[in-house]
Amino acid sequence: MKNFSHLLVKEIKELLNKQLIISLAAMLLIFYFIGSVTRTEMKKAAAKQKIAVLDLDKSEISRNIIGALNMANFIIEEKAGPKEQVVEEIRNSDLDLLVVIPSGFGNTVSRFEAGQVETYSYLRGISISGGRKSEIVRAVLNATNEYLSNDFLKKRAPEINPELLKEPIKNREFVVVREKMAEGSAAAITGSLYAQSFILPIILMMIIIYSAQMVITAIAMEKQDKTLETLLTVPVSREAIVTAKMLAAGLVGLLSAVVYMYGFQNAFSFTNDEVSQAMSGVAPILKELGLTISTQGYLLFGLSLFLSILCALSLATILGVLAEDYRTAQSLSFPLIFLVMIPYFISLFADINTMALPAKILVLIIPFSHPFFAMQNLMFGHLTMLWLGIVYNLVFVLVMLYWAAKIFSTDRVLTMKLRWGKKKVIL
Amino acid sequence: MAEVLEVEGLKKKYGALEALKGVSFKVEEGEIFGLIGPNGAGKTTTLRIIATLLTPSDGRVIFRGYDLKKNPEKFRKGISYLPEEAGAYRNMKGLDYLRFMAKFYSHDETEANKFVERAVSISGLGERLKDKVGTYSKGMTRKLLLARALMTKPALAILDEPTSGLDVINSLEVREMIKRFTREGVSVLLSSHNMLEVEFLSDRVALIDRGLILDSGTPQSLKEKYQAANLEIVFRSAVQ
Repeated sequence: MKNFSHLLVKEIKELLNKQLIISLAAMLLIFYFIGSVTRTEMKKAAAKQKIAVLDLDKSEISRNIIGALNMANFIIEEKAGPKEQVVEEIRNSDLDLLVVIPSGFGNTVSRFEAGQVETYSYLRGISISGGRKSEIVRAVLNATNEYLSNDFLKKRAPEINPELLKEPIKNREFVVVREKMAEGSAAAITGSLYAQSFILPIILMMIIIYSAQMVITAIAMEKQDKTLETLLTVPVSREAIVTAKMLAAGLVGLLSAVVYMYGFQNAFSFTNDEVSQAMSGVAPILKELGLTISTQGYLLFGLSLFLSILCALSLATILGVLAEDYRTAQSLSFPLIFLVMIPYFISLFADINTMALPAKILVLIIPFSHPFFAMQNLMFGHLTMLWLGIVYNLVFVLVMLYWAAKIFSTDRVLTMKLRWGKKKVIL
Repeated sequence: MAEVLEVEGLKKKYGALEALKGVSFKVEEGEIFGLIGPNGAGKTTTLRIIATLLTPSDGRVIFRGYDLKKNPEKFRKGISYLPEEAGAYRNMKGLDYLRFMAKFYSHDETEANKFVERAVSISGLGERLKDKVGTYSKGMTRKLLLARALMTKPALAILDEPTSGLDVINSLEVREMIKRFTREGVSVLLSSHNMLEVEFLSDRVALIDRGLILDSGTPQSLKEKYQAANLEIVFRSAVQ
């Protein structure tokens, strides 16, 4: 045990070197910068926007539209003169949006004919605030249309509620999950669940990739620096050497992933407000439908994740033995990254439960797949699938650990090499 | 004198290639035993087997009464191995590296400190031990590694080509270190293709070629037997 902890401390110190600390700090800085820029853009978009309005109609209706724009968080700068001249004038100013209400607009609308306003958006670059302006104008026009149509309908058919005329069919939505049912929108629930969990696959991917890369690199560096032979002759068991390397890589990989996620969350923290807003309405429905995770569920998810990390580490240990140097180690980590990317993208864009059986089997053979789908399995009661995944990963880990320890206990740790030129493994 | 190591009929195959075809020799307590032969003769394979890095295909290796196949951990406790192309952890300071290695062989902190003090004295690197290993020259790294191999006063130090790749001055210094810091209960098994070096260092030598021991004895007795001026000529005569 003394020798194991001694080895573990050395492995952690080797991995947690100056280069890694600098790169993690740089990553945090980059995220902070991205976050600041994005937040500023979002604030700009949310703040009162100054727009130009050219009212060539001067009717009561056109004045009402300008009033509605005023109410909708716009600072109105009214312009006068011929349209072409005003369009040109705005081109050379810092205003980005011009609304033109043409002459005769009020009369047309009063005759129950379609009126037309023109909006000119001046694109001076690509940013969130630029895109949102025309969206808001469209929303204001929609509201105005709603007001005008209701007003007309009231005049023509005062005995009928205009809302009933426009929408004679109302939908009362219910969502059914297993034996439970609740009133609510399926789209809102799916959106809410997606908003809550979109970050989870990223965390999983980062932890698995970081840990695997760490252990491959640690073993390859022992070979490159010619320190492995000496280490293998000191009075410490080979199992302790393998375990110390794997544990250190797992811990440093986890730390790197946590730092990465902290930076990521900090950079995109503005989305949290939107998520919590959406959640506040949907939360009771989720609870009613049983779409929440219990403590036991979180423990099962943790077990699935832990076993997946062990799978990645044991596979990476074997790949690390094949590597002769740092460069080869980097190439050897690509297959692992590729294997992690498959469940990552599937968890984002598809439902594993509705996939064709051969495709489903292919995905679930990858040992890292299971935690990606664990949350979904927990929520929708697919506990058999979750447990099967845990058992599969446990067996996979035991087999791989056995092989890794066996390789380290035999000549193969020194003689097994992957030669890219000859494309063969020498055992 | 008691035997510290006995190698008998040692064979090693890599697929179809037979690297060792039945190597036998004995190392006595307190002596420096040299294995000499050209590149590819089987010297490193023999040393790697004794150092528990490779498993033999056949034959017996006994170290202080323990069989290699049954008790490899007893070998690791009593043997110190210096590989031909060894390195040290580049990000560690020399002193930290010595302390790291000493802890594997010590029972407590006091003993580990004693090992480190001895290594500092053997290496002769002085203040440079406070620098990172990555900044060392090849000669300095070799001295550090040799100090590491000898600091615990192992029952058997295995030195594979101890001066390989070093310039004349560093080679001389390393040879002097081996002469000065062994003997006190430390037996040495060294290999080299530099036969003059082995003649200078060794009490007894074995000539190895193509996985077989051709002859063995003291350098003097071999020179007399083959009527040769030095071991290079002895080796040529033995091969013929």
